[in-house]
Amino acid sequence: MFRTCDITGFKIDLKAEKLIRANAVFAVISLLLAVIAAILLVFTRYQPVHLLSAEWYYRLVTFHGLNALIYWIIFFEIAGLYFGSTVVLNTRFCAPKLGWFAFALMVAGLVLSDIIILMGKADVMLTSYTPLKADPLYYLGIILFAVGALLAVILFFGNLMIARREKSYGDTLPLFTYGLMTAAIIAVITLASGALIYIPTFLWSMGLIQNVDPAMYKLIWWGLGHSSQQINVAAMVSIWYLVSFLSVGGTSINEKVSRTAFVLYILFICLASAHHLLTDPGVSSAWKVWNTSYAMYLAVLASMIHAFAVPSSFESAQRRWGYNKGLFQWLSKAPWGNPAFSAIILAVIGFGFIGGTTGVIFGMEQTNIIVHNTIAIPGHFKGTVVIGTTLTFMGITYYLIPLIFRRKIVGFKWAKAQPWLFFIGIALLSISMIVLGQMGVPRRHWDSTFSGGPFTYNFNPAVDFFWALMMLGGTLAFIATIIWILIVVISVFFGPKVNGPADMQLKISPLAPQPKAHKGFEAPGTLVLTIVFLLVFIALFFLNWKWLAATWYVH
Amino acid sequence: MSLLSPAEGWFDKKVSKDEKSWMIIALLLCISMFIWMIMWHVYGKQNPSSITYRTSTAEFSKLSEAYQKQNIVGTDAGIPVVRPQPNSDVIVMAEMWRWSPVMILQKDQAYKFHISSRDVLHGFSIQPVNMNFQVYPSYDYVLEFKPTESGEYKVICNEFCGIGHHTMIGKIVVIEKEEDLKLYGYENFKKAPAPLAEKKNEPLTETEMVLLGEQIYTLKGCAACHKTDGSSQIAPSWKGLYGKEEHVIEDGKKMTVKVDDAYIDESIKTPQKKITVGFENTPMPVFPLTDEEIKQVIAYIKSLKD
Repeated sequence: MFRTCDITGFKIDLKAEKLIRANAVFAVISLLLAVIAAILLVFTRYQPVHLLSAEWYYRLVTFHGLNALIYWIIFFEIAGLYFGSTVVLNTRFCAPKLGWFAFALMVAGLVLSDIIILMGKADVMLTSYTPLKADPLYYLGIILFAVGALLAVILFFGNLMIARREKSYGDTLPLFTYGLMTAAIIAVITLASGALIYIPTFLWSMGLIQNVDPAMYKLIWWGLGHSSQQINVAAMVSIWYLVSFLSVGGTSINEKVSRTAFVLYILFICLASAHHLLTDPGVSSAWKVWNTSYAMYLAVLASMIHAFAVPSSFESAQRRWGYNKGLFQWLSKAPWGNPAFSAIILAVIGFGFIGGTTGVIFGMEQTNIIVHNTIAIPGHFKGTVVIGTTLTFMGITYYLIPLIFRRKIVGFKWAKAQPWLFFIGIALLSISMIVLGQMGVPRRHWDSTFSGGPFTYNFNPAVDFFWALMMLGGTLAFIATIIWILIVVISVFFGPKVNGPADMQLKISPLAPQPKAHKGFEAPGTLVLTIVFLLVFIALFFLNWKWLAATWYVH
Repeated sequence: MSLLSPAEGWFDKKVSKDEKSWMIIALLLCISMFIWMIMWHVYGKQNPSSITYRTSTAEFSKLSEAYQKQNIVGTDAGIPVVRPQPNSDVIVMAEMWRWSPVMILQKDQAYKFHISSRDVLHGFSIQPVNMNFQVYPSYDYVLEFKPTESGEYKVICNEFCGIGHHTMIGKIVVIEKEEDLKLYGYENFKKAPAPLAEKKNEPLTETEMVLLGEQIYTLKGCAACHKTDGSSQIAPSWKGLYGKEEHVIEDGKKMTVKVDDAYIDESIKTPQKKITVGFENTPMPVFPLTDEEIKQVIAYIKSLKD
């Protein structure tokens, strides 16, 4: 059963559409659970309030990590994979019943593990490093979820095969789906690592295996934990290209380059587990240097290629629409009233300047000494996963509500402001966490006054300012997330129905006109912006190495 | 176009000048960063160590207790204080929820830390200098530190280790001159004992020899292959080894030897001469030990009776 979209002209399999909706709904539920925990955590670490008890603090750190980093993101990605492999390719869903089975497994996994955590039987953090031990049901919950997710990814490949056989798209996969396909391939590698470590750990928690070596656990767990973030990167970048197309009719100025960059992700991203073992015993420096750099930074190169290709796709399209004056008219005349557009631009900026720079610098073998396990690390990944991935997912949802849920967005004015509020909130949160970490403040730590310890330690007095800033940023981000959830829930369940293109609040741009023959640069504004980025990166790079050089000698 | 198949000829489209320049800049940056990390190993002063020994929580606990007993100069908040000799091995124990011992170090002197955990993972985080390392149970991580500034430092734990995680805090004091001890109320702590091996005039007791032998066993890496619990996977276990008859191969000929002082001495100095039957595929490397150290190892092996 298909319907033809009266706005985009795509053929939509109604069975696929239902699955997309169900997965998206659970993504939103997971996000809600995650942010409720998050705001309680922020007000616990903010020492003047110090809200939760130690027990509940660690419990909710575990809860927050699992729901935010795994459930919210993967449910959303599965919805995205189904969308990219059926709607975009005008094809049917290969096995809807299996799709529901996968969904049921994932929901069961979520419910089981969340209940076990809240019962206090799994205060082990998301990473659950052995020999910390949780209740077997906790590991079982995660395994169920992972099996469901793996099945969903396989169904995605099934859809691609059907589309290919039935020739429902042109000769080549659209870039968006191509990007998602790389995400799916990385997901298979990642989930395999997950199975490799969670299954023995599950058996160990039941007493069937005697010992899970802690170093081996950490190595393989991060094959899941870090590589899964690269699923997010691939999915997020795909959406960036998608929004460029939807909002200004843009496309990558050279698809071959963009696609090659995606392939680089597949080839090198799985080495990222090393980022977590840089100051650990057991592995050699040669191993660390090679792996932490993704074999000479080839995955970083991929991100840097996208850092040019994504903005230049906007710039090139805008210039063809006639916004050709100077270096930046294309940007000033951009559709800023479109919340999906503003969300994506802010996500690109946040991901690059906050998440990307710190990621590369913190992930170098030696500079990791001054940040390992400090709060700068979650600060870094707030810059990648939250400003980057989450804001991107929030942005694209503003298109999905009318196109997939067929509802108008309720409170559209709020929707326009929401990405900005979220960006400012997370940027403040993230930057203050990075600064705190650089001053030595540990992550996952209930009381940084060390009450009850044999000694005490006072951090640099400047930390008070950044704790306050972090609290402020966290609160703003929390409010922005609640606004987004309210908009989504109210629109989806109570919003007026969409009856055709006239009801679209977000513009869908026609393709930008063909380029006239031109000389010189295709996207000079983007080049300037990327050079600015490069200079900021180099400044931060030398700052961190200078701090490192000021520490004790160690080898 | 990201929702549609790319336009005809997309694969042959030339890369624009600006995109190409950016890619070249990015690639150069990537390669430079890679080289930078390698060069820091040559010219930089801060490089995470690659030296790790396999140990067990029981073995390391024994070692740590022996070390603290031998080197204690006082206590601070109930934790033993040691004042290790420069260039010596320092045994640091992490456990729920305490770092021990407290250390008095001399500025600009190097100390070889052996850090391991008695239970779960811990994070070794020296503040305010802000250096952070990971600590595992059953891995002995060897880090050679050289403090470059005097003062009081705290070691906090930055890897979650259970409900009392936030109370896990230890202390390192770095002094420049003897008077600095007063700053920390340590002036009455008796001077660090001279290392046993340097007490030239009085011979070591058997117990001291065994203790030193055990230190060599863990610190020099014997423990990686030779176990003391009777299991012999890679190399013969040391338990009950002394006095035993062993089948060995010398120059291709099988023969039997009695494990005594002379045989152990020979096996450490020229491990390839007589190879124990059953371990032909895991040849032992040469460990440069002094004659004195070999005697201590022998004393230790003797003490491991069945």
